[in-house]
Amino acid sequence: MHIPDGFLSTPVWVVLDAAAAPAAGLAARRAQRGFEQSQAPLLGVMGAFVFAAQMINFPIGAGTTGHLLGGALLAMTLGPASASVVMTAILAIQALVFQDGGVLALGANVVNMALAGVLAGYLPFSVWGATRWRRPSIFLGGALSVLVSAVLALSELLVSGVPMSGRLVRLSLVLFGISAILEGAITVAVMESLEKIQPKLVRQPWTGRSPVLGVIAIAAVLLASVGVLFASQAPDAIQQLTHQSGSEASGWLSKSLAGLGGIVLIYGACLVFARLAARFRSA
Amino acid sequence: MHRRDPRAKIAALLVFLVVLATARTGLLWLSAGFFLLLAAGLVWARLPVIAVLGRAAVVLPFTLVFVLVCWIGGDPGRGLSLAVKSYLSAVAVLLVISTTPLPALLRGLESAGVPSFLLLVVQFLYRYLFVIAEEAQHMGKAAAARGASARQWRAGSAAFRAAAGALAVLFARAYSRAEQIHCAMLSRGFEGRFRTLEPARFRRSDAVFAVLASAAPIALRIAAERAAS
Repeated sequence: MHIPDGFLSTPVWVVLDAAAAPAAGLAARRAQRGFEQSQAPLLGVMGAFVFAAQMINFPIGAGTTGHLLGGALLAMTLGPASASVVMTAILAIQALVFQDGGVLALGANVVNMALAGVLAGYLPFSVWGATRWRRPSIFLGGALSVLVSAVLALSELLVSGVPMSGRLVRLSLVLFGISAILEGAITVAVMESLEKIQPKLVRQPWTGRSPVLGVIAIAAVLLASVGVLFASQAPDAIQQLTHQSGSEASGWLSKSLAGLGGIVLIYGACLVFARLAARFRSA
Repeated sequence: MHRRDPRAKIAALLVFLVVLATARTGLLWLSAGFFLLLAAGLVWARLPVIAVLGRAAVVLPFTLVFVLVCWIGGDPGRGLSLAVKSYLSAVAVLLVISTTPLPALLRGLESAGVPSFLLLVVQFLYRYLFVIAEEAQHMGKAAAARGASARQWRAGSAAFRAAAGALAVLFARAYSRAEQIHCAMLSRGFEGRFRTLEPARFRRSDAVFAVLASAAPIALRIAAERAAS
């Protein structure tokens, strides 16, 4: 699902590069604080592990094989920030050395797989990992990480103007579903084996989390990724507002700025809301 | 070409990629011109032209699927543009990668503002990629010698779990190897970043190269659009 250069329209790859850069920097800083000092060797070697792991074939019947993609597994063992850094490093090596994915499209691939995919893979485990729903949560994490990455990639291609009929989109979604189930199954199997041989490698999720928050978070990630596919063509309230205020977006520069502005606005709103909620809770 | 500063090459590469990605009209002329430009670059860098062009074709299988999709969807021009753009971008990236050792490239990226922690991880990844891959291959051979085969018609869950077990063992081995590497580097005085013997200097020839290599795609694009209109 690595998008090459030349596939995405300019507003799409510019906005995604601009969104990926600070997020990747943030993940890098958090990962650095994570374990002890200078754990770059650990993350590098785990990235090499994912590369090698993608070569191990899992028999899935009828003479076919599948393989692990790895985002969810990394998140459940190294933590989401470190997992994002490892996935970003993997994507960079794949783009530069193996030409698997474009250089300008690296931002898009990072958002799809290293950020959204890792987050979607980690959330179910962090909410239900300490309960008796541990195995299903691991499966869900693996499946969601693949599903979210693939759907985001598909949406970006659709928005960039690749003509795919509804039937083709549905067929792609079915294929994504199959590989999602496969990833979930492989992730569960590997996690269980890992817990038997080296239990301290697996993270213990917090037990104090409210499941409602987890469900909301998962729903948000799903909505953001799947929603683009079902977005309606009719102008919505925001577009009408911009039309009335005369600052209508036209041309790719203003579209990109509008997209980026939207992201910054929502991020800022969430930040303020979270601070208020924290202050309210501690008061 | 091999001796040019990596920052100049990165800048020129980005200009090339952006000019190519944003091109809409005159694509036929532009791709011909870019192809010649890249071929000239390969010859100047004394790289095997046919081999590099063949290596870049690794993007084609994925691209051809979408060419087909576009053709079915009634927009064959877009399909062709996808194939051409992705292929030429791959050749350009290959040209830069083949003329720049990875540590130098990463240092060039670091001076462009990429977080150094991330680049450090990339460097370790690249260094240990082949080591871990070889270990995985050994495990695969050992398993095959014991009679396992991944391609089975009746895939019992035992075979599946065996593969998962192999993966878990590889994970644990990689993790402990990483801890050993970390200790070894600490004992050799590693402080979290690599030091270089000679600092990269941006010479006048690098600036000339950067300007010329950036101007060429822009000039070609202007010419192509004028030829198409």
